[in-house]
Amino acid sequence: MREIIQEFFKKTLTLRLFWLSTAVILLFILPLFISTAYISLISEMLIMALAGCALNLMMGYTGMVSFGPAGLYAVGAYTTALLLKKTGIPFAATMVAGPIMAGLVGAVVGWFCVRRTAVYFALLTLAFAQIIWTIFFEWYDFTGGDDGTVGFRKPELLLSINSSYYFILLIVIICLILLWIIVNSPFGKTLQAIRENPVRTEFIGVNVKRYQLYAFIISSLFLGAAGSLFAVFSGSVFPDYAHWIKSTDMIVICLLGGMYNFLGPVIGSAVYIFLSKLISGYTMYWMLFLGIIVVFLVLFMRNGIAGFISHKIAPLIQENKETEK
Amino acid sequence: MDIEAIMGQVLSGLSVGMVLFLIASGLSVIFGTLKILNLAHGTIYMIGGFLCYWITSTFAHIPAIFWLALILGPIATALLGGLIEIFLLRRIYAEEMLYQYILTFGLILILGELCKLIWGVGYHTVSVPWPVDGKMSIFGMIYPVYNIFLICCGVAVFIGLMAVMRFTGLGRIIRAVTFNREMANALGINVPMVYTGVFMLGCWLAGLAGTLMPPMSVVALGTDMAVIIDCFIIVVIGGMGSLSGAFIGAIILGLVNAFGISLLPKLTIAFGFLLMIIILIIRHWGLLGKPE
Repeated sequence: MREIIQEFFKKTLTLRLFWLSTAVILLFILPLFISTAYISLISEMLIMALAGCALNLMMGYTGMVSFGPAGLYAVGAYTTALLLKKTGIPFAATMVAGPIMAGLVGAVVGWFCVRRTAVYFALLTLAFAQIIWTIFFEWYDFTGGDDGTVGFRKPELLLSINSSYYFILLIVIICLILLWIIVNSPFGKTLQAIRENPVRTEFIGVNVKRYQLYAFIISSLFLGAAGSLFAVFSGSVFPDYAHWIKSTDMIVICLLGGMYNFLGPVIGSAVYIFLSKLISGYTMYWMLFLGIIVVFLVLFMRNGIAGFISHKIAPLIQENKETEK
Repeated sequence: MDIEAIMGQVLSGLSVGMVLFLIASGLSVIFGTLKILNLAHGTIYMIGGFLCYWITSTFAHIPAIFWLALILGPIATALLGGLIEIFLLRRIYAEEMLYQYILTFGLILILGELCKLIWGVGYHTVSVPWPVDGKMSIFGMIYPVYNIFLICCGVAVFIGLMAVMRFTGLGRIIRAVTFNREMANALGINVPMVYTGVFMLGCWLAGLAGTLMPPMSVVALGTDMAVIIDCFIIVVIGGMGSLSGAFIGAIILGLVNAFGISLLPKLTIAFGFLLMIIILIIRHWGLLGKPE
């Protein structure tokens, strides 16, 4: 028994904690070594990682494929941006208002959406997101329409790129820890049961629709948080944040990293944004490469990078160790 | 709004609606049989438009080249569709909808960029071909003949498709595969071939719409994105997989857009989505679809 526990600690916990804490420490000391251009790139990765993880709670863990996460992301972004621009309320309050507003919108949208399944659910989320997009696009007097909402105040503390990086890093880590707790709670396990088999889960006395709605709302909250962060990070918000192309970006990030892994979207976001900057630096046909990557992923790597590592590479390493013995 | 303006709006709404019907009917037939939501369908339409421009401008010296393009363009998109089905889609029928969505999204990117590579980023126009150029008068009002020609095309294709589905052996086979794939397979129908055929039919329809549209509009990158969303709205309103539903849905959306632009320009885009949401909430199988 003791050996098993020790083995467990050695193999999973220590390794994972070790790598995670190294990564976090590295992220904290990074600004000392690299230029601000890369810092803002990493900030973007962090925000998209949060959005991806939030979407993944709904998609990977509960099995609800949404085509419209960008709508809720944009609600968070616009709420924070408009509050900063039009009112004098404290910065912290606007950062809280973004996610809450997204959560409220998510509650209304989700209430309708969870009544439908599969393709109808997906199309309904798409239609709602497009409505949100239309509102931001057409309500020129309030949101600035196509020109976006720009030029809102930022707290002095966040004016430099490094300090805004630390702010984003801190919030993203807190949100990811919260999501991790949710995913591993009994509630999170119930969501996974719903993903595996909604009918059976209903039979053991779980109100599936209600749980799906809760997952939808929580996912919206964190999508809103990511949106708020991005509004503060970029200093401008545009209707296209709500567009279905943006939603598809988020889905690709989840898929690229691996949907059935908690940190999958984090890896996906880093690789996706890195590749997009790298390739679009060389060619104007970046979308062509993205398309090829996406098709390749679907055909050959459905579990994403994280799945590839844990299914293909990890067994190889273990085999090597065993042969060494 | 006087009667003349209203008739004008109806006519332009119907002619755009009929082109949308051609695209949406392909999307709907593909979804009905293959159970795949083909996001790249709008891109196939766009390629049809580029082919029309390319053929008419390269071989401009040949008389009646537009009509030749109208035959060749859709055939080319159908062949492209066949390749896509055989090499890509066939591998993912058993997978979740998410993968189909993402795969066809990847196709949007690849095909769109290839169009950019081949035909550039500019706008192209195609002149209205003889003998459907010019104007004609109906009840004393003057309309472009081409719009009426488009409406006739849409109605003709609708009737033709319905007839094929109802009265021919081919239509029976397609309906059988749509109804129950395993049973059709057991009865000796070559299901994979039917799938390829139906997908090619859908792409042929999109290509047909793509070649018909340029004389009335422009050929440009990005038209695929606008069109595919419209098609989703149409297919949802009419019922996914239903041909007559797509016909009704296209007429509704065409008219809503035409009148919306002149009455409430700001809310026009939203109307289509609102219709889609309402249908999905109260009657998600659509106006003419069958409840599952």
